[in-house]
Amino acid sequence: MSSSRLNLTKIRPYLYLVPSLALLSVFTYFPILYSTYLSFFRQNVFTLEPVFDWFANYAAVFEEPVFKIVVRNTVVYALGTIPITMFLALLMAILLNEQLGWIRDIYRVACFYPTMIPMAAAGMLAVWLFNPGIGLINHYLKMFGVPTIEWLYDMKWALPAIMLTAIWKNFGYFMLIYLAGLQNIPGELYESASIEGCGFWSRLRYITLPLLGPTTVFVVIQGIITSFQVFDLVYVMTQGGPADRTNVFVYYIYQNAFRFWDFGQASALTVMFVIVLLILVFILTRFMERRVHYEV
Amino acid sequence: MKSNTQQTPKFGPLEKAFRFIGVNRIHIHILLILVSGVTLAPYLWALSTSLKYRVNVFTETPQWIPNPVNLGNYKEVFRMAPFGLYLVNTIVVVVGILAIQILTMSTAAYAFSRLRFRGSEGLFFLFIVQMMLPVHATIVPNYLIVNKLGLLDSRLALMVPFWATGYGTFLLRQSFRQVPRDFEDAAMIDGCSGLRFLYSILLPMAKPTLVAFSLISIVTHWNDFFWPLVVTDSPAVRTLTMGLAMFVQQESGADWTLLMAATIFVTAPLMVLFLIYQRKFIESFMSAGIKG
Repeated sequence: MSSSRLNLTKIRPYLYLVPSLALLSVFTYFPILYSTYLSFFRQNVFTLEPVFDWFANYAAVFEEPVFKIVVRNTVVYALGTIPITMFLALLMAILLNEQLGWIRDIYRVACFYPTMIPMAAAGMLAVWLFNPGIGLINHYLKMFGVPTIEWLYDMKWALPAIMLTAIWKNFGYFMLIYLAGLQNIPGELYESASIEGCGFWSRLRYITLPLLGPTTVFVVIQGIITSFQVFDLVYVMTQGGPADRTNVFVYYIYQNAFRFWDFGQASALTVMFVIVLLILVFILTRFMERRVHYEV
Repeated sequence: MKSNTQQTPKFGPLEKAFRFIGVNRIHIHILLILVSGVTLAPYLWALSTSLKYRVNVFTETPQWIPNPVNLGNYKEVFRMAPFGLYLVNTIVVVVGILAIQILTMSTAAYAFSRLRFRGSEGLFFLFIVQMMLPVHATIVPNYLIVNKLGLLDSRLALMVPFWATGYGTFLLRQSFRQVPRDFEDAAMIDGCSGLRFLYSILLPMAKPTLVAFSLISIVTHWNDFFWPLVVTDSPAVRTLTMGLAMFVQQESGADWTLLMAATIFVTAPLMVLFLIYQRKFIESFMSAGIKG
């Protein structure tokens, strides 16, 4: 009697975890293993049954000339959007952390509301704005004497157009994260700094930015995860075109799986994607945590 | 900790510093108005377009305020595609996800925050991994699994993969940890332990975290696109974002007033909620973000 009760208290914690663990196993852990397994099989419209073929799918990935473009697009997208988004977010957060009265709420709403819009809908807004003939953006650019840009139909400008849309959509969220970080900095620090006669830039350099270190680590990692998973905008705005100039990693996986029905190839890409993402996040956490020397 | 995100500081910490380099309040406001204006423009322009007659879309100078106002576009959109059904589907899916999420994450967070057991750290790490790898990262196997379960093209398929949440568990664990041990001891003496303690004491005390997580979950799944795109096929189970994408294909970019009316309708429910409860939303995203 007493021994069975003892057992029950021992397994009780695990029982609480069962629902979550079961679901996570089926939809997160097993898929990763399953992808790895599938990536070793040739499985496409030409094969009736999956055929084991070692690393053929991985080799095929690198033989595909489009893959190079896809990697370049994804990297350009990440390197282009993350710093600009962070800069805008930080700038707005610093300004909005001032005492501005009731109008502060309006600014905050104006910057944050794009977070509430579905990416797909944001893509639609952007398609309309970037319309070469009657779009608002070209209209205002023309006023400044800029010749008509074909935007989404132009090999050079399609990706920047998507990046601009993403920056507009995302910076407000990161601004809030920075605002939260700023509000955790004790006001006394600024007071004593001003007694010491520190000017604007030195306060920014020696108080604000260092104390925002942990927030920045979080923002960069979030930024990388979001920008590596960009898909909706590409799907709605360009379908990867023109000539794959906006084809990014997740879109390429989708294309291989559900347009070309090549699950083997798509799985190999998935495995590579997961590995690259985990390594990036791991390295960044390590690297940046060493540089974040102040603690809040 | 969470509540002080609301109150404005007594004085702007950098305010004097701004003056120091010749920046005064007016400059700050001008910059803020500029950025706010640019951010607001796309949505306002879409709203304006959706309320125009087709002829007024092509004007020499952009007509920001539609004249005359035409509500017919919305009627036309509803006639062309079952957006009402899409709305119902979206609500069912979003609520269905959130309800089960709260159940699974509350017991898991309870175990991780209040109970001691072997392997808890390793198991918790497994939960964290999911924060970095949502279903989208493993789209092919998830599609095959849902297919195997016979769930393709159903509303259930849109919900199941999100029922367990590493992120929610993480947030709730933090908040449960702040409840002092004494509460549990006192409750224990009154014969309130385990699940009853969790549901009658812990969860109500974690309400701010629950609200924050709920809002984030609702926004995330309301806006989801990739997963519905892969697993749904028929209008009967389509959500709003999918409905919009299909509408665009059907309309093939010909009539911007209709396309913008559809876009505005898809975004409207959340946008209205956000405008009404903006403080709650902003507070929630702030507190949940910083802790994550």
